[in-house]
Amino acid sequence: MTVLTEGGLEITFHNVISAHKFEDHGLTIMKAVDFLVELPDRYLFIEFKDPDPGSDFPSADDPVQAFRTGQLDQDLKYKYRDSFLYEWAAGRAEKPSYYYVLVALRWLGTADLIQRTVALKQALPVSGPSDWVRSIVNDCGVFNIASWNRTFPDYQVRRLP
Amino acid sequence: MRSTEVPDELSDWCIESAYIPVKEVLANAPGFLSLYSAREIHFEEVYEDILLKVYLPPLREPIDSRHWRMLNELQNLLGGKIIVSGEEFFLSNDQGDLEFTLLAEGWRKLGLLWLLIQNGTLQSGSVLFWDEPEANLNPKMFKTVMSVLLELQRAGVQVFFATHDYVILKELDLQMTEEDAVAFHSLYRDEKGEIDCRSTGKYLDIHPSAINEAFDDLYDREIERSLGGLNR
Repeated sequence: MTVLTEGGLEITFHNVISAHKFEDHGLTIMKAVDFLVELPDRYLFIEFKDPDPGSDFPSADDPVQAFRTGQLDQDLKYKYRDSFLYEWAAGRAEKPSYYYVLVALRWLGTADLIQRTVALKQALPVSGPSDWVRSIVNDCGVFNIASWNRTFPDYQVRRLP
Repeated sequence: MRSTEVPDELSDWCIESAYIPVKEVLANAPGFLSLYSAREIHFEEVYEDILLKVYLPPLREPIDSRHWRMLNELQNLLGGKIIVSGEEFFLSNDQGDLEFTLLAEGWRKLGLLWLLIQNGTLQSGSVLFWDEPEANLNPKMFKTVMSVLLELQRAGVQVFFATHDYVILKELDLQMTEEDAVAFHSLYRDEKGEIDCRSTGKYLDIHPSAINEAFDDLYDREIERSLGGLNR
């Protein structure tokens, strides 16, 4: 079991080969997702977005606007791409990669999550041009805390007291 | 309800009201009223009723600033104002007068709303019923539609609308303020198959919601696909 925290959120990983805070790589000129998880058949790139004060949520003054206008998508896109590129350069991107984002906004409904998931798929992009021989990301999803915990029973998230 | 059908004892209670049906009627309005009064045709009375309302000329007194703002908001969206010539409706702008039959159905409905505001049908104390405002409208227009409906409510018009649309509902949620008097009524069938209703003043408390259930199902399947078999 590995327990990691990001801002006011804590995630507990079970049944993984490894899980660590990816931001610790130290190369500040590249953006980085929060966590990198290795499973037997894939890597999970995980980003938490928490609009609490002190977090790096874009436009923290108005997280609703950042979420709805797609401003957040741009940040999420570059974090993933830089992280994937870092892993590729380090010779560790040999398994399929999946990108999952948790946005800790209480009011997020499933319609919002679908919209942002589709927008993120287009932005990364999940489907590349026909001459790509491999994808840079196999798939992605955007979650709130409730849907995250429902989907990932082995990677439960809780807000720290 | 037509005033001729109101029982005498209730005539003092007659309230000005308008019902916007799902099917748009203005494009087929010429000749409809004479046909409806002279023959038995298979149209509900609401179509005659709404035409009688929109053919009303403007009020004698000037329109107040709140109603002007609503008219301007709709005019900006429509790109012109509505004029009535004989029994025909036109969208009038710099390029001329466009027949209603040439307009998209959703635009004609916005034109209908414009006329009801302009001719004083929707004044304080009146009631507006609108069945599925989303029908035939581009979702980008919902923002203006909900803005106008909320403004009508602030002007003292009681507005009832029925919707199956997420964007309509969400626009209402995002635009309403604490001062607005808004109630959400969720109609559903209970375990005995009887129709029941739950009411709330908060969007997040609407339950049960067929709209949310449909999105939940879509989201679950979207996420299932994005997991690539992770939880199997």
